[in-house]
Amino acid sequence: MKKWPWAILAPAILFVLIGIFSPWLMTHDPAAQDYSALLTGPSGAHWLGTDYLGRDMFSRIIGGARTSLVAMVFVLVAALAIGVVIGSFAGYVGGKTELVLISVIDIALALPSLVIALALMGVFSGANFDWMSDYWKMIVALTMAWWANYARMSRAVVVAELQQPYIEAARVMGASHIWIFSKHILPHVLGLVVVYASADAGALVLAIATLSFLGLGVAPPTPEWGQMLVDGMSYIEENAALVIIPGLALTAVVVSFNLLGEAFALQKVPRAVRGRLLSRKKAARSAEDVARKAVEA
Amino acid sequence: MSAPIYEVEGLVIDLYTPTVSVRAVDGSGFHVSPGETLAIVGESGSGKTVMTLGPLGLLPEGVAVDLRGTARADGKDILSMSPGDLSRLRGGFFGVIFQDPMSALNPMLKIGPQLAEQARRYAGLSAEASRKEAVSLLARSGIPDPEDRYDRYPHELSGGMLQRAMIALALAARPRVLIADEPTTALDATVQAQILALIRQIQKEDGIAVILITHDIGAVSVLADRVAVLYAGQVAEEGSAIDVLTAPVHPYTRGLLASVPDFRSDSASGTKEIPGIPPNQAQLVAGCRFADRCDQVEPQCHTRRPALQTVGVGPVPHRVACPVVIAAEGIVTHD
Amino acid sequence: MTDAIVAKGLKVHFQTAAGLVRAVDGVDLTVARGAFHGIVGESGCGKTTLARAMIGLQSATEGQVNILGRDRAEWAKTDRKGFARAVQFIFQDPLGSMSRRQSVGQTLEEPLLIHGQGDAKARRARVAELLDLVALPATVLDRLPRSLSGGQRQRVSIARALALSPQLLICDEPLSALDVSVRAQIVNLFARLRDQLGLTIVIVAHDLAIVREVCSAVTVMYLGRVAEEGAAKPLFSDPAHPYSQALLSAVPSPDPRIEATRPRILLAGDPPSPRNPPPGCRFSTRCPVVEPRCREAEPALRAVQHGGAAACHLADAGVHAMI
Repeated sequence: MKKWPWAILAPAILFVLIGIFSPWLMTHDPAAQDYSALLTGPSGAHWLGTDYLGRDMFSRIIGGARTSLVAMVFVLVAALAIGVVIGSFAGYVGGKTELVLISVIDIALALPSLVIALALMGVFSGANFDWMSDYWKMIVALTMAWWANYARMSRAVVVAELQQPYIEAARVMGASHIWIFSKHILPHVLGLVVVYASADAGALVLAIATLSFLGLGVAPPTPEWGQMLVDGMSYIEENAALVIIPGLALTAVVVSFNLLGEAFALQKVPRAVRGRLLSRKKAARSAEDVARKAVEA
Repeated sequence: MSAPIYEVEGLVIDLYTPTVSVRAVDGSGFHVSPGETLAIVGESGSGKTVMTLGPLGLLPEGVAVDLRGTARADGKDILSMSPGDLSRLRGGFFGVIFQDPMSALNPMLKIGPQLAEQARRYAGLSAEASRKEAVSLLARSGIPDPEDRYDRYPHELSGGMLQRAMIALALAARPRVLIADEPTTALDATVQAQILALIRQIQKEDGIAVILITHDIGAVSVLADRVAVLYAGQVAEEGSAIDVLTAPVHPYTRGLLASVPDFRSDSASGTKEIPGIPPNQAQLVAGCRFADRCDQVEPQCHTRRPALQTVGVGPVPHRVACPVVIAAEGIVTHD
Repeated sequence: MTDAIVAKGLKVHFQTAAGLVRAVDGVDLTVARGAFHGIVGESGCGKTTLARAMIGLQSATEGQVNILGRDRAEWAKTDRKGFARAVQFIFQDPLGSMSRRQSVGQTLEEPLLIHGQGDAKARRARVAELLDLVALPATVLDRLPRSLSGGQRQRVSIARALALSPQLLICDEPLSALDVSVRAQIVNLFARLRDQLGLTIVIVAHDLAIVREVCSAVTVMYLGRVAEEGAAKPLFSDPAHPYSQALLSAVPSPDPRIEATRPRILLAGDPPSPRNPPPGCRFSTRCPVVEPRCREAEPALRAVQHGGAAACHLADAGVHAMI
């Protein structure tokens, strides 16, 4: 089978690198307004031109990458942690606890993530939540919308692994539950969810942009791609680049992450990544299948 | 003895997976005549199944295969046959019994109709006659109340009954060669004995040729007229069952037999063992494949491949691929 | 000295979709210290469940198991690690019983880590000692279980069980996944370890010839009950229970000359399902010498000629039925 070229992952890798090193890459303060240069085209001073407030587009795109990356990492880490804890607990403990937790997970999975996030943003707009900034409201809302998937996967892996004879062998050796879980089961769970999360990142970047586009996420002075899209819309006739540039950045990153996910699914991951990640994912996926069959039966 | 009905000579089978290539069968052959039972004995990975079923096109899935040599069934070259002809031959001329009955029986269909279909297609019977034939096959395979079992699904039968049903299925096409691939391995001792007795009885009644592929020396001792011992794709020793099992010459055969205790003889010397593990067949070796595990190894064993030499000339020649033991024990050869 | 294992009235029943399975249904069993005790029988006779219940991998529905003079359930509950140091278990499938992501070295070190035994250096030394004990070269340390041969895997699993220096080793069909010539290697390893380390070994097996060869005592099970028990060699040469007779008769001799002449007992049919055992003697549905009383009353174990005991109405210290 032919491996896909590394090039398809370039936008995703670039996104992460730019996000990390953005303070050193920005040529201007992304919030600094320059009324002497409104809506200019690309030039030596402003490589990608300026927006309707005279802000440097290049720096805003770079800064936007950081905003998205930071928010994405927060959400992924939080969702993963919650999902792994709830899912693993359900799978390990079993019985009625498991049934209750599965029902919660299923309800969360039945609704589209964005719908949950939007509903939560609505709830958070109430006065009781004034102590949270919009940015943190968005992070919390997206986390609540995203954890269930990881919980479902974690539980499936735990249930499947628990049926493996080597777990019995560990028990015979006198291992405690904590030992068995941390030494034998958790690595399998993390192996799967981390791979899945890496492919899920694109959807999350898009969700962050969507919320900001709808005016629910990142507040204006902070550069953010979704925000930039809305702002640019009003000036689309004067300078279409204001919409095209953030739009392209967003598209490239989302497509690249999705291809990463596809690559995992089709086992066409570029060689270097494959060995380490895929073996885990494959093992975990077969484990998941086993678990699913067990549940169906 | 009558002429061989299935005959394989100088067979070489290379199996390729994306990562390794393995010479599963390395210039080996065998032949079996009507009314005779040949046992092909070897441990897992010895190539015994590939050697027997490979020429019929029954090969492991998912690997590329390179197969050379000659194979004749009833005098016809089967390696040059079209896939269609080969498929007809497989279904009619050969009957195969596997270790796992569910690999032959369709779990979605009732037992009886599966047998009847086979009888209609290969033995050319009418619908009415094929039903009768199916019931009598079930009865003949030792299945009690065959009329009732005719309408049962495979999952409604116990392990031993399923094994019998599969034997009935293999017999439905009235094969002339019955190949039994580890037919009793998955069965309990008392059921094993029943199945071996059944195969023996069928062979006597129909006078067909039987090839028993197995690692179970006990099954060989019950059924076989002739034995070929396979080690790492090569025939180490062959001859009549009595010669090979009671007067083995090749160090591997001797080791294999010594590792199987017999609780009826009281020469309780403990189970002996062959040291080491079967070789990695990914590496082609110039000499004897058994050299690394052999306690009588000599320098020449690592460089020259031993040929089969005839050490006994009864009605069935006893042939051994070990010049070292033959020389050391002063065994007379007749080549 | 107390016995290694004493089971009394042990029952293990499972609820399945198809009904209650009486896998072990009233077993009394005593394993002497230092014995090499074989448990034999056909699939569904409950031998594996019995072995698992002895070490608590299966909870007993009824009855009691004493291990080295202590109540098993109580011991495992109050002193999990102490129990693990005394009794170890070997699984049928060595590969499945090891984590596929741990190397041989890590696998062997794990019990030592769980029990906090020694520092890194001492543990390395112990692992080397264990490899030596099971005759594996040090080169396997960094390999994954999957890359080993079947015999090597079983050696690793034996080495791991020995890591904590147990007094009792319970093995569930440790030979069935192995090739014939390798089986002999592993059996001889068990016998050597028993002598060298003073172990008590219980082995569940279906290879009767090997059991007769190496075991000192044997228990024959049928459908969740003990059919016959006794010292291995006398029992094998003069089995008192018709089922033992049939089971032994079913094992072919590797010598075709013996095979050609010896009378064979062929039982009709398969063993009944443990879901639905027959009334009276459980073997009565297949027994060639069955009498009316066999279908009514379940026979108790009684002393028989070979010095052991059999559960057959037609067997006592004087005579037993021959089929």
